[in-house]
Amino acid sequence: MKKLKEISTRLEIAKKKNKNNEQKNDGSNAASFGKAMKISTELVASVGVGTTIGFILDDWFDTKPLLIISFFFIGTVAGILNVFKSAKRMHKKQKN
Amino acid sequence: MATNPMHQFEVYRMGPEINLGGINLSFTNASFFMLVSALLVLSLLFFGTKKKSLVPSKIQLITEMSYTFVAKMINDTAGSSARSYFPFIFTLFMFVLFSNMIGMLPYSFTVTSHIIVTFALAAIVFIGVTIIGFMKHGIKYLELFVPKGVPVVLLPLIVIIEIISYLSRPVSLSVRLFANMMAGHTMLKVFGGFVISLGLLGGWLPLGFSVALTGLEILVAFLQAYVFAILTCIYLNDALNLHH
Repeated sequence: MKKLKEISTRLEIAKKKNKNNEQKNDGSNAASFGKAMKISTELVASVGVGTTIGFILDDWFDTKPLLIISFFFIGTVAGILNVFKSAKRMHKKQKN
Repeated sequence: MATNPMHQFEVYRMGPEINLGGINLSFTNASFFMLVSALLVLSLLFFGTKKKSLVPSKIQLITEMSYTFVAKMINDTAGSSARSYFPFIFTLFMFVLFSNMIGMLPYSFTVTSHIIVTFALAAIVFIGVTIIGFMKHGIKYLELFVPKGVPVVLLPLIVIIEIISYLSRPVSLSVRLFANMMAGHTMLKVFGGFVISLGLLGGWLPLGFSVALTGLEILVAFLQAYVFAILTCIYLNDALNLHH
């Protein structure tokens, strides 16, 4: 019984220390690195998807350079929108 | 051959060649390492939950920590309504994490450095989340593509943009994991090659870099598994709670 009590007090102290450390480490390098990777790939991926869709539709309708150009720009806009959305989500999370 | 930084990504056949209707189904080193990581996850969970002591042993502690880590992640990002999808997200997270970590061992093969593997995982998530959304909301799920308060004139353009942004999810999910793993492992190999070619005199600087990069790669291996799982949670949240 005595041993259990000792363990629980030690656990409490460790938890307190852990909490302090967590508060200090908020916005640490690792988390920011993950966020940066997430945002950058989101920006690039939808440009690629938009251009691919334009390329396929161009093949279907035989309008060679027209749709690929317009879908490239639409894809870029979608990428910016993606980044905007996830930045908004991060902001909301930080406020809470 | 050994100094070629791309040589480590080569897929080769192990055992006999199996051909089923023109499709090559042979057992490769990629399948072998996928099997290894799946078996490692299984055995970790099996031995970790075998003896449920009050003061946990190391292996039980690891199991319980990974459980609470994923459970907390789902609770924070997708809410309590996503609780029933815990087994799927836990499996996904542990599989990606173990594949990444096994890739850090010398002479091993990184399964997640091939885009077909990561894209298959991302496609499962994408198709699954879309089916869940339609099952939960029916045809109203398409409202996801129509944001509120948009003038009617702009609506066709906005809907196209939203659809492209939705379709880009599996691409960004898979490319992120694959590019991180491949770039990191190539870089490690290139610096390793520098050590050999610069010899005893100048090889110490790239050797130091190699050590530092190994540390960074272990961080990236964990982080990418985490990002993969957390984005799955976010997409699940979008499908479960339409108006966020």
